[in-house]
Amino acid sequence: MSKEISLVIAIVVLVALLGIFLITFVAYRKTPLPKGCENLKADDEKCAACSNTECAFAKKEEEK
Amino acid sequence: MNIFISFVLAIISSMLIDNVVLSRFYGICPFLGVSRKVNSSLGMGIAVVFVIILATLICWPLYNYVLVPAGIAFMDTVAYILVIASIVQLVGLFIKKYSPSLYKSLGIYLPLITTNCAVLGVAQSNTDQGLTFLNSIANAMGTSIGFLLIIVTFSCIRVRLESSNTPKAFKGLPIALICAALMAIALVGLQGLFSGIKL
Repeated sequence: MSKEISLVIAIVVLVALLGIFLITFVAYRKTPLPKGCENLKADDEKCAACSNTECAFAKKEEEK
Repeated sequence: MNIFISFVLAIISSMLIDNVVLSRFYGICPFLGVSRKVNSSLGMGIAVVFVIILATLICWPLYNYVLVPAGIAFMDTVAYILVIASIVQLVGLFIKKYSPSLYKSLGIYLPLITTNCAVLGVAQSNTDQGLTFLNSIANAMGTSIGFLLIIVTFSCIRVRLESSNTPKAFKGLPIALICAALMAIALVGLQGLFSGIKL
């Protein structure tokens, strides 16, 4: 197989992976939350153990 | 027979001797974050086992049969992250739909399996070390079962620590971290376990 064809196949595979990710992402978001899980929050003690400042939950806490 | 023995030894080695949490220090966030209850740590451990093994089954052929022949092996991390994120969304979707109690206990920490460096670390190390497909699966199984074993053991210890009479300054995370250090020291004692075995 020539290099060009391999490259095209690889790009198609990567785009397909991106497509699968987007489909699963949308499906996850659209699945309704189970009862009693509407207001789940990050646990302060749990988050204190983690040094990741880029985490979405850490940023939410900072905004408050 | 030798293949079977080396497969089992590779699993035990990556499970205990080269443990992903206590020797390589990957996946510390869920190790500390989801280890207060045995049920939630078991759920998180099983989810991570599923994600690591499935990610290895997909990432190894993807690297060796698609990325390397195309000359874009440098795109491996991007491809692995897409694979891992998709698997985690699928696992999350199933837990959300069919196990509300597990969803409640794992809660917001479920999508964080995507950023669990143990998952990406296994996929990356399989290809970086040039392991065969069988050895990659052994490595994935050993690493993920090692993660499950350690997180469940640690949660059992933490449950007992909650009711124990620890000094005020050590309550909570400090004593938990001391226990984790002692567990790591215990695993160091297993090094050289298979050094005498000739295959």
